[in-house]
Amino acid sequence: MSRAYRITVKESDTRRLKADDEICTQLEILEILPPEDMATLLREELKKRGFEEQPDGNLIRKDGELTVKVDPCSGEVSVKAETEETVSQEVRRDATGFNDVGPSERSLRQRVKDQLKADLDKKFEQEQNRLQGKATEALEKHLQELQPEISEVVNQVTRDALKQKAQQMGTVKEISEDAESGSLTIKVEV
Amino acid sequence: MTRIAAPPARFPDSDGPRQVSKFEFNLLRILRFFVGHFPAEQAVRLLRESLPRPECLSLSAVELVQDTLAKGCILFLVRQGGWRNDRYLRNGHPIAGRVWDRIPLNERTLVFSRAVLEFLIWATAEKVHETKTPWDTTANQLTAADELFFWLVLNSIRFDPDLLASLRKKEAFRLNPFCWVCFPGDLVGNDNFEAPNFTPLFEGVRAAILECLQCYLTERWLQSERKKGQVGEWKKLRQQGHAEFVALRTFLEAAGRAKRPDLARFVLRTNATLLSTDLTPAFWTSGLQGSGPLRLADRLETQRAALAVPRQMEVLEAWQNHARTVGYFDDDYQATQMWKAEWEALHGDLIVSRARAVIQMLEPLGGATLRAQSADRGETAHDDHPEGSTG
Repeated sequence: MSRAYRITVKESDTRRLKADDEICTQLEILEILPPEDMATLLREELKKRGFEEQPDGNLIRKDGELTVKVDPCSGEVSVKAETEETVSQEVRRDATGFNDVGPSERSLRQRVKDQLKADLDKKFEQEQNRLQGKATEALEKHLQELQPEISEVVNQVTRDALKQKAQQMGTVKEISEDAESGSLTIKVEV
Repeated sequence: MTRIAAPPARFPDSDGPRQVSKFEFNLLRILRFFVGHFPAEQAVRLLRESLPRPECLSLSAVELVQDTLAKGCILFLVRQGGWRNDRYLRNGHPIAGRVWDRIPLNERTLVFSRAVLEFLIWATAEKVHETKTPWDTTANQLTAADELFFWLVLNSIRFDPDLLASLRKKEAFRLNPFCWVCFPGDLVGNDNFEAPNFTPLFEGVRAAILECLQCYLTERWLQSERKKGQVGEWKKLRQQGHAEFVALRTFLEAAGRAKRPDLARFVLRTNATLLSTDLTPAFWTSGLQGSGPLRLADRLETQRAALAVPRQMEVLEAWQNHARTVGYFDDDYQATQMWKAEWEALHGDLIVSRARAVIQMLEPLGGATLRAQSADRGETAHDDHPEGSTG
């Protein structure tokens, strides 16, 4: 006579999950002055906005989990979002066996354990995707905020470069700026 | 068959059609398909069938193969553009005329090696998509004519995914510069690929072939660009775009080194036709299904890859900028004058600005830099004023 028995197996794991997303793009800086001078102006402007110069010459600003890196020489900007979480997951499965037919308890338990591992991996994969979505969302949101600021930086660098260029050409008589239209008029006496 | 059959003088010993075996008959039909004189449906059936391989081919069959190759390849090249009264560079000077007027006979003679006949025998004997006996050749042993032939083969079968997947792994196709310059997207199945050396394309017979193919290449690239908007898979579009970018960029670099910008005319013409009006990136990416990869970086990479052809305008613009600096007494004067004439006829400056605008639209901070640029342009205009005053 067969005797049915049920076994319950639980598996739990805690993992440190990391996700990141990064985009790189190029600032379009006009070559009004020699590239080194344009890089210096860009560097100064970025420093005013909280960027810190690194030993390799790049400027970095960290906003929480987001990092903005600018190479003032090439004008390359990279924005990176990183996030990490410690996630605990538990899975549980029941299985039924019979003592005279089918697998013995040990092999049944092993089989259920293997299935649980697969379940656990799947759950962590879902968590990883969730975390990735979070990082990407943060990056997209930050890009929207960063866009006007980068635009202002480029404008300011161009304005400063034009002023310097005018000074190199002769005596600057008059400078008038219209913030609304963004126009800049420089009168130079040579 | 009758249309391009050899004249009787060619075979004085034969009174009627030549006798060939069933295998040879199939081989000749497959060859005629490759050179564009046999229906694709019937030929693909032959390529998917296997036949017992004979020990050797009869003399009649070999002569018919030679005749078909000689006439078929030449006819193809002439029809695709060799007949055109055009101008191309020769030793740095523009030469006008049809291909046979511009290039001496000894520099446009097609010489086929054994590899072609071996391939034809293999393709007839084997099921090409499920081959039991592998066939391949070494790419650097192929002649220019061989490369043209294998390009014709790939061009004929590329609509059949099974045949394409089987052939593109072979070196005769995988490292064939003609295949890479025409359909790089078809040659890659993953992200790891290697573009061939394009330098030989700008010398001798290969350059002559490339001159004949300019119009064909323009049409081919236009078709490919227009079809990109129907690609639904993100991964496929990324791989195709990446292969196209690498192929075109390597090709243009080689053309620049060889001082043959005339052979890269098809890139300029393709862009000129595509960007005859303002386009948005949606032209290339509107077919993509779903939200795509999770990471923004991966999505952006796919979208950037899709614009592989407009991105080549930066190289052509650099050529144009260089051409503007070449003086009358410089060596390149005539060549650069020819390039400038082509550039101006196709409104190169306008095309470059449209290409730049569409690429900029994809950039995540593009809006910022675009606004900045437009503001900058305004400021530059004001900057012109003091410079003007000084003048």
